[in-house]
Amino acid sequence: MGYRIGQEMDLMQKLEILADAAKYDVACTSSGVDRKNTGSGTGNCMAAGICHSFSSDGRCISLLKILFTNECIFDCRYCINRRSNDVPRASFTPQEVCDLTMGFYRRNYIEGLFLSSGIFQSPDVTMDLLYQTLYKLRREYNFQGYIHVKAIPGADPEIVERTGYLADRMSVNLELPTAEGLRVLAPQKQRSRMLAPIRQVQMRRQENRQELTLYRHAPKFVPAGQSTQMIIGASGESDFQILKVAEHMYRKYEMKRVFYSAFVRVNDDSLLPALPGGPPLLREHRLYQADWLLRYYGFHTEELLSEERPDFNVLLDPKCDWALRHLEYFPVEVMKADYQTLLRVPGIGVRSAQRIVKTRRLGTLDYGVLKKIGVVLKRAVFFITCGGRQMYPVRLEEDYILRNLLDGKEKLPAGTAPACMQLSLFDDPRFSV
Amino acid sequence: MIRVFRCEDTLTGILTGVYDAWDSRLGHQNVRLSSVAVEDLELFCEYTDVEPDVEKAGKVFRTVKRRMGEEAALMIAYASACPHDGKADAIYRMIVIGLHLPDGREICHMLTRPEVNLIFELRKKAWHIAHRYMGFVRFRELENGVLFSEIEAEADILAMIAPHFADRMPGENWALLDRNRQKAAVHPAGKNWFILEDVDEAKLSLPGLSREESYFQELWRRFHRAVGIRERENKALQQAFLPLKFRNVMTEFQEMSTPLKR
Ligand code: SF4
Repeated sequence: MGYRIGQEMDLMQKLEILADAAKYDVACTSSGVDRKNTGSGTGNCMAAGICHSFSSDGRCISLLKILFTNECIFDCRYCINRRSNDVPRASFTPQEVCDLTMGFYRRNYIEGLFLSSGIFQSPDVTMDLLYQTLYKLRREYNFQGYIHVKAIPGADPEIVERTGYLADRMSVNLELPTAEGLRVLAPQKQRSRMLAPIRQVQMRRQENRQELTLYRHAPKFVPAGQSTQMIIGASGESDFQILKVAEHMYRKYEMKRVFYSAFVRVNDDSLLPALPGGPPLLREHRLYQADWLLRYYGFHTEELLSEERPDFNVLLDPKCDWALRHLEYFPVEVMKADYQTLLRVPGIGVRSAQRIVKTRRLGTLDYGVLKKIGVVLKRAVFFITCGGRQMYPVRLEEDYILRNLLDGKEKLPAGTAPACMQLSLFDDPRFSV
Repeated sequence: MIRVFRCEDTLTGILTGVYDAWDSRLGHQNVRLSSVAVEDLELFCEYTDVEPDVEKAGKVFRTVKRRMGEEAALMIAYASACPHDGKADAIYRMIVIGLHLPDGREICHMLTRPEVNLIFELRKKAWHIAHRYMGFVRFRELENGVLFSEIEAEADILAMIAPHFADRMPGENWALLDRNRQKAAVHPAGKNWFILEDVDEAKLSLPGLSREESYFQELWRRFHRAVGIRERENKALQQAFLPLKFRNVMTEFQEMSTPLKR
């Protein structure tokens, strides 16, 4: 049991403890709302979001991401703040969170606040503290920047609702992809309890949309929508299971984003995997790529993975992997193919597909133009013709393309490619670090 | 003989050049626009220096807006903020093409034309730079409550980011100084922002820091350090997103000046 700390603890120390304790939450986007300043007070929001800095692990820093308190009564095995850990504990006051937020925001350090919390005494007490903090920030300080706040599962829905009118985004983290994983690693959490506030916020948002069509000035409820997060590689789920859960959250709960967080083994617990190779970053990267395909490219989980092939190929991004298994769709003629078909071509993204469609109405495309438009020809060349011609002669054969794609080396974010990548060509593709 | 219209490297300068070049009636193929400060003189070229003229530039800009649309006007305005030797002439060509189209709005999608493509690329670049600065600007609070910041921008983006901060902090006095251009955007609380030219940084006598300033800077540095996950440390990725050239003016990459209590 951690030691309790007196009230007099310095704000500097509190911030260090509670920022450190919040850092495993990967969501740091400030996107999803466009809001002008009302003319008084401080702050606005930009739909695209703004990154204010990057931390030593290369992640974007956009929000003041902190826990309100890490004095948690729960004992989740994967979490640094679990009750049975001996770590320094601290709690903010609403006033302190306001001071920090306003001080940071005016200096343009941040886009706003990301307020999470351990469970302090009870879910109700915790949720109420979060509510009070947001209330003070919005009403007393007239803060109009971005706020992302946690909904605490098990808290009184009425407080959750009040809080939602002050926040831009709310989130409940699913933590582990399956109920089974939760039972083992976070016994005090239940999937059904987590889904309840998510459903509540979703329903309230739907009603709110109606209200807003009637009264333009009706107060907005969670305008930037919900997000959630799953830890990758702490329990034994396959990519197929994880992606299915994500797809379900997008389709059934209108989730704006699902985040994937490669498991970092912070606790020495026999029920946690050992991870000698460090957090499974490449796996996390593949899941983000696939997530993108679900959201913007019209793919379904079943097209990418199956019970028989439950994990992503480490060597190829999910789209190339899909294309290689579906050569019957190719080659695609870029002067003619419709938007959806273009999207399925490796090397053509949402932007470049849109530009192809617009540009070809006004002139003839050639490979030079495609390159300027942003098509990655290195990959696309195997799958397209332009005006009936290939860029140079290529064969539409799986082995041939695979060899060439691998020679071309995918541009992975620095640090995600494990050292074994170069020699593991013939290894089991069900790679797990 | 080609007539080169040499204009100032600003939106006003370039658009005045467009006006004068068009007005010269020499034929589009016989004129060229240049905004390069010192250019090697070429044989078989005559040079005319263009005096920037707000009225002429305004006329051109309004015509562009009306006939080629808001989007094309923005493209041209943003592109002119980027340093590039060919931009003035490309803007001229783009306007010539645009005004000859039955529907000028189509111009933005004519990426198969190299001039349009260049302007498109420059616009993207300028926006990208401006967007980064919206995040990377670091204000410090001076004794008199003014929020002050320097930037060292590779494009002339002050006028692109000032509206953002003006909307964000309408009640604050703030100023942004572009060291590379001796220009500043200034926002007096509750009023409109404006650009101040020819600001000599050496001659500025700024008040000292406010009482809380060092404390907040240190809070931010500690926060910045605390949020990095050691097991995922990846300086290469950090640097890819946040190149060293920006860090000069960013609090979190500077050493603590004086450790302070509140
Ligand atoms: S509830 Fe679980 S995951 Fe959240 S802070 Fe407490 S121990 Fe950690």
